[in-house]
Amino acid sequence: MTFIILNRLFQAVLVLLFVALISFLIFRFVGNPVENLMGQEATLAQRAALEEALGLNDPIHIQYFDFLWKAVRFDFGNSYRGALPVAELIASRLPATLELALTSALFAVIFGVFMGIYTAINRGSVITNFILSSSLIGVSLPTFLIGILLIWLFSVELNWLPSFGRGEVVDLGWWKTGFLSESGLKSLVLPAITLGLYQMTLIMRLTRSEMLEVLRQDYIRLARALGLTNKAVYFFHALPNILIPVITIGGLQLGSVIAFAIITETVFQWPGVGLLFINAVYFVDIPVMSAYLLLVGFAFVLINLIVDLSYFFIDPRLRDSELKDEA
Amino acid sequence: MTIDRTMIEPLLEIKNLSVSLKKRDNISVAVDDLSLNLYPGEILGLVGESGAGKSMTGSAILGLIESPLYISAGTISLQGRSIIEAPENIRGSQISMIFQDPLVSLNPLKTIGEQLIKTIKTHFNISKAEALDRSKKLLSDVGIDPERIEAYPHTFSGGMRQRVVIALALAPEPSVIIADEPTTALDVSVQAQILNLLKQLCTERGTSIILITHDMGVISETTDRVAVLYSGRLVEIGKTSDVLQRPQHPYTAGLVASTPNIDPSSFDKKLFQIPGAMPDIDDVPDGCAFHPRCEHARDKCQKHRPPLFDARVSCWLSEKPGGTL
Repeated sequence: MTFIILNRLFQAVLVLLFVALISFLIFRFVGNPVENLMGQEATLAQRAALEEALGLNDPIHIQYFDFLWKAVRFDFGNSYRGALPVAELIASRLPATLELALTSALFAVIFGVFMGIYTAINRGSVITNFILSSSLIGVSLPTFLIGILLIWLFSVELNWLPSFGRGEVVDLGWWKTGFLSESGLKSLVLPAITLGLYQMTLIMRLTRSEMLEVLRQDYIRLARALGLTNKAVYFFHALPNILIPVITIGGLQLGSVIAFAIITETVFQWPGVGLLFINAVYFVDIPVMSAYLLLVGFAFVLINLIVDLSYFFIDPRLRDSELKDEA
Repeated sequence: MTIDRTMIEPLLEIKNLSVSLKKRDNISVAVDDLSLNLYPGEILGLVGESGAGKSMTGSAILGLIESPLYISAGTISLQGRSIIEAPENIRGSQISMIFQDPLVSLNPLKTIGEQLIKTIKTHFNISKAEALDRSKKLLSDVGIDPERIEAYPHTFSGGMRQRVVIALALAPEPSVIIADEPTTALDVSVQAQILNLLKQLCTERGTSIILITHDMGVISETTDRVAVLYSGRLVEIGKTSDVLQRPQHPYTAGLVASTPNIDPSSFDKKLFQIPGAMPDIDDVPDGCAFHPRCEHARDKCQKHRPPLFDARVSCWLSEKPGGTL
């Protein structure tokens, strides 16, 4: 088991090093930082001094290691705009994005799995057909359009929910949460649905097709022949067998939810890292872009690592075959 | 066994059962007007080529057939009570079923103990500790070390897994076990062990067995009576020794003759083959379904379907006493 974890950790570190390389190279390809920092009036001597101070004259691999060393200590330099440390900037924005991503992922997984199982068990019923055909709309409408439609319906026409912002946040010292105030929770509803709708339909369709496949298996026929209740057949026998594909896709989707919160955050003016990134792109604020890229890469790698390791808890066959390889 | 079983009340009674298949433009019949009795404590064989309707009959008894297949006619009753309306009430507790391939009959993600306990707790209102004890007892009954109760199915061989499946089928203490080709997927050396185990455990418990197989060797070694199916119809039924030694239906005679024999005197003989193939269920001929392949076929066989004569054989040759093959 330790071997498996170490092996996966090693792979994760390799991927992160590669992502870091790309974030690092952004600096070299997207304009010259000296130009951005000093403006046109600077003398050649001042430029040379700054280049030296920034370490830009070092060999490229030294610069890369320097970048890595700073990154592991959360030192991503200062934003070109406002000159705040990037790490602080991101840390202040991250809770908003993580709360939004987590809420919409939970929404997507809970409703997706539930409706997937329901539509697999009740094949051909009126409700099933309604869910399946309306889910096509969820898949085919682009996120920003869904967001705008929701705002139009629930904020403008019905005036039930706020159309932008995060509402009132409660400061826990290290984390500013919107979960603890009524306006915070209300503000979360529309962006979470907007962000999670596509993932939900995807998870639902996956759960449904996996469930239909599993229900055809002989151990399900045997369980039925032994008189097990429908509940036992569906939840004791079938559900664990659909977990691996659902967790795999669900995990990847959580990664995309974090990464692609950008559009939803823009539509709802949600003060998260996505919005920060969009503004950084407008102003070519490279340290912020680079740190954001690393952050998203890290999120993906972490989620994949957890997904990978979860397989071994779910499937005893994998556990045994890996242990055999180890021996 | 020498008891005349027709004097006892049947345990399971199937009358005029038909299973049909609904397609877009037509309905075809997979099991056609089948009547069978199963008596307490006996082992009844169902034999025939694949597609003859053997497995479908087994599934129909438990109500496990799914659309587009459906029971289109007939009754099934257990100890005089009809079970066709609510088969879920007798699944496991009265009749359980085991399937052909033990490699896929067990849930790969649950230990054999979890699966046994779940089955036992479904049928008996007992504590988990008691269910665990019973599971261990069942495992040792089927010849598996009870210590392995926490092992997962993939750590067992095919034969061992079929033993676990038998333990699962016995767990609810049913009066009938339907065994659908229980040894077909196993090595020859393991087949006999599993059959003997099944037979022994059922005899001890007084459980009747419906053994579905295409293997005449298995039929002759294991069963008390045998029913031969062809194209979804019963063609011959009787005591196994009678049917195998003096088959009255040409199809049964063909099946017996085409069974490989390891007797050295038969080595140089060519194995008998029944000419042709069983018709597709969409395309069953008029009259006797077997007549296109039958060397004794007459005009009557082509036009009229033979009834079951003497509660034994469905063939016009047996219409009059003394009629022979």
